[in-house]
Amino acid sequence: MRITRREKLLNYLVLCLFTAVTLVPLIGVLLSALTPRDQSGPGFTVPDRLDFGNFVTAWNEGNFSSYLTSSVIVTTATVAITMVLAVPAAFAFARFKFPGSKVIFFVILIGLMIPEEAFIIPLYYNLRGAGLTDSYWSLILPQAAWSLGFTIFWMRNYFLSFPGTIIEAARLDGAADRKILWHVLLPSARPAITTACLLVAMWTWNEFLMPLVMINSESMRTAPLALAFFKGQHITDYSLLAAAGTLIALPIVLLYLVMQRHFIAGMLSGAVKG
Amino acid sequence: MKISRKNSAVAFAVGAMVIASATGCAPGSGNASAPVSASHSAVSKDVAAAGKVTLTVWDQNTDGGINAAQKKLNSEFEAKYPNVTINRVSRTFSDLKTTLKLALSSNTPPDVIQANQGYPDMGTFVQAGMLQDVNRYADAYGWNSRYPSALLDLNRFTPDGKTWHTGNLFGVSQTGEMVGVYYNKTLLSKLGLKAPTTLDELQSDMAAAKAAGVQALSFGNAEKTPGIHIFGTIQDATAGKKAVRDLVFNTGGKWTDPSTVSAAKTLADWTAKGYVSSGSSGVSQDAAAAAFGKGQSLFLVQGTWELATLDQALGKQVGFTVLNDPTSGQPATMGGEGLAWAVTGKAKQPDVAAAYIDFITNANASQVLVDTGNLPAVPPADWAPKTGSLEADIAAQWKKLNAADGLTPYLDYTTPTFFDTLTARAQNLIAGQDSPDAFTQALQTDYAAFQAKK
Amino acid sequence: MTTTATRPKTNRASKTPGWRNHREHKSRIQWKGYLYVLPALIVFMAFLGVPLLQTAWYSLWDWNGLSAATWAGVANYAEIFTDPGLLGGFAHVGILIIFYALIPVSLALVLTVLMSRAARMRGASLFRSLLFLPQVVPTVVIASVWVSIYAPNGLLNQVIAVFGVHDPATAWLGTISTALPAVGMIGTWLGIGLCLVLFVSGVSSIPTELYESARLDGAGAVREFFSITLPGLRGHIAVALTLTATTALKSFDIVYVTTRGGPGTATTVPAYEIYNRAFGTNQVGSAAAIAIVLTAFILVITVAISKIQPKEPQE
Repeated sequence: MRITRREKLLNYLVLCLFTAVTLVPLIGVLLSALTPRDQSGPGFTVPDRLDFGNFVTAWNEGNFSSYLTSSVIVTTATVAITMVLAVPAAFAFARFKFPGSKVIFFVILIGLMIPEEAFIIPLYYNLRGAGLTDSYWSLILPQAAWSLGFTIFWMRNYFLSFPGTIIEAARLDGAADRKILWHVLLPSARPAITTACLLVAMWTWNEFLMPLVMINSESMRTAPLALAFFKGQHITDYSLLAAAGTLIALPIVLLYLVMQRHFIAGMLSGAVKG
Repeated sequence: MKISRKNSAVAFAVGAMVIASATGCAPGSGNASAPVSASHSAVSKDVAAAGKVTLTVWDQNTDGGINAAQKKLNSEFEAKYPNVTINRVSRTFSDLKTTLKLALSSNTPPDVIQANQGYPDMGTFVQAGMLQDVNRYADAYGWNSRYPSALLDLNRFTPDGKTWHTGNLFGVSQTGEMVGVYYNKTLLSKLGLKAPTTLDELQSDMAAAKAAGVQALSFGNAEKTPGIHIFGTIQDATAGKKAVRDLVFNTGGKWTDPSTVSAAKTLADWTAKGYVSSGSSGVSQDAAAAAFGKGQSLFLVQGTWELATLDQALGKQVGFTVLNDPTSGQPATMGGEGLAWAVTGKAKQPDVAAAYIDFITNANASQVLVDTGNLPAVPPADWAPKTGSLEADIAAQWKKLNAADGLTPYLDYTTPTFFDTLTARAQNLIAGQDSPDAFTQALQTDYAAFQAKK
Repeated sequence: MTTTATRPKTNRASKTPGWRNHREHKSRIQWKGYLYVLPALIVFMAFLGVPLLQTAWYSLWDWNGLSAATWAGVANYAEIFTDPGLLGGFAHVGILIIFYALIPVSLALVLTVLMSRAARMRGASLFRSLLFLPQVVPTVVIASVWVSIYAPNGLLNQVIAVFGVHDPATAWLGTISTALPAVGMIGTWLGIGLCLVLFVSGVSSIPTELYESARLDGAGAVREFFSITLPGLRGHIAVALTLTATTALKSFDIVYVTTRGGPGTATTVPAYEIYNRAFGTNQVGSAAAIAIVLTAFILVITVAISKIQPKEPQE
């Protein structure tokens, strides 16, 4: 069926309008971040010259190198631990038959649905009792546990969809299950794994409540939290705030721009966590 | 995917089993924190002998002038004692308030903190053993003679944290504070007005400003604390210092007494007349001070912590005044001292922490504070700012106020929940959501509940 | 339980005869399955499962987080349903769901109809990635952006001034009547791109023959929408509603950064109340009870939404 010219025009018009609505606040931040501090205000202004110095000032005054380092450490470790735990489990849920497998799967899936407020209070007291609060582990382990729901769900779907004939062939060649997972399934699962890694990375990077509760030491604070406190201290310094916001959003936005296909695929497929 | 009903039942049963095993006892019964031991070792003032120490300090000195002072004092302390490293964490008042309790209850709390006086913060912390009493340091460093007893009493609590204003000393303060009325001299003389000393004068000045098309007042209440300051200022000038002290110190009176209701009516009236904008809860106090600093309004009701900022913005154009107590005719206003510098219960080197607190509050520190545009709790004896400067106004008012014994405590000290109640209700009152009666009734309900529990 | 999910297309392969069927032939139990699952299960239970159950347990106690607790029974729950402040918080969430979920979903549906086959246009993927961008930006950053947009001299008032309305500049987040809708509009902005992307891609998977034959039958645009587009998008609508509604229910960080529940109590939400009570005002048991009610709320809504979803073949 053909698309008429008028329809096409209308389509572009609607898309452009809503893309503009979506982008204006984000472009506003970028512009504001580049506005010299003496001209800055909360409104949308086009600066008469671009001032990259705000980034330097925010970086130094806000101590963001330390916060971004913390964020990178926590995010990387959370993704790694989540994947190491989730892939074998997903494989077993898809591949093996053992009593209670569905119940266990169901229990872990709870992580997909519940808000973190539902477990963070006792978690805090438990971790404090174990001497783990105010350490990277108090962020990494709970966030890995929380991400297992989605990751196992996602990887299991992938393993279920894998053509059975290939597995049969490998099995007839005498490959053990471990080998099948490692040498047959995983190499072709790279896109699925990438998607899972990216989403877990994004959730961990953007997480706010967990580090707010678990971390006291400035040296272990993650970037979003640092921004919230930075905002309190520079409430009228709009350029500086915008620069700081840009700095902490940048890594994840860049990742998104490079790998957007994975992000969108994952988010639209049952990622009810967020 | 679907899970059958039977499977869900199994899952539920497993869950029930886990809960039974995991939570066999009441929360808190296992990990009751050990109370801080009452017997302290002898005080050592020798910081250099303490070995390598990292002192983690949480302060709220983020505003321009006081931040400069704190930076300078910290580096001086580190220079004097190279074995000590200060790990400074600086937050705004509200960010500090929301995170401090979590930090103090952790296994690795900061060593020195700034605690807000009164029941909501200091009382709670003392009750939980999160702060050490500093009586022994007060003796060693002579704090008891450095400060007037009225200021020391604000930092006192009984060891159980249940009664404020008496008992052990839990900290000392660095800055003096008073809330008053900043005025723009240029605008004032243009309007042919003079600086107000009574509430009536202030109100007639504001009316005159409004009639002349000048914005009467800058007010931003996004942080919620400015609501305390503006209401308190009116209440002091309406009910008088004795009534306010009785209420906050829990020694008598009701929040629904006619004079307090009348103060609430005045504030509501200010909104109705447009002096206070009903959207002020969306304007930060920094933005309001900045607007006043640009000469956009005649008055700003704020504390002396804005001294450096306003001095920089307006120079000799800005003045500071305090309203009078209606009964005595002497100045009376809310204030006293900045947040108390306290040693936490788990501080690893309490002696070093106390030496640090002494260092940032002693006479030398007062001089640094004055030099950077701050009001110290105990100003240097020879403090003589340039006449006509904002600093001179503040110095003069501070002297007068103390001579007249005119300081009243901040209202949020009143009960453990009073900060939340008062700030939320004040926003409602200013927005016209609560009537003055509903406002004072809500305060009284909170007050009565606390007194019933005591 | 049903998870609302559009399944990856590749999933169809699982229905083809293959290794799964083969597995079912031999009924011996593969005990090693536990070995693969156990590490994940242990971490899950230690850091999420057990704490979740403990929350339920805590909610039955009156505990200040410091000393030993005293038994409270259902008193904490009774408080939720009698305290006007707490009830208000849940009411606010109800309003937020309208802004976060219902408005973006309906708006996106209308737009999708307007541009029924936009997915096949040139540049569609560019639009898709741009519309999706807000989803990946940290909420804290988004909230700070909107704080300046809503400021008295911010972008929103600038735009209004362009249209010649000379109101005194409104502090949108600081005015009791506008604060909650203002917080809600952030959610609308967040959700609209997500819903558009979802629905446009959904429409593209509806066979064009359906539309062609409907038009041959003389169906108008309205009938086309109700008989073809809407049923075809059921799954996508369910996903969109779940994603956006749960975001509204978990709106802790947006409220923390924009209003902290104010002005007055105009924007209090349960998520913020939980934090404040548990870690601010020493009411741990009460906070736990609110958490449990909030969780129940989320589960009920998720299950209700999943009813929209077309039935899927049993695995």
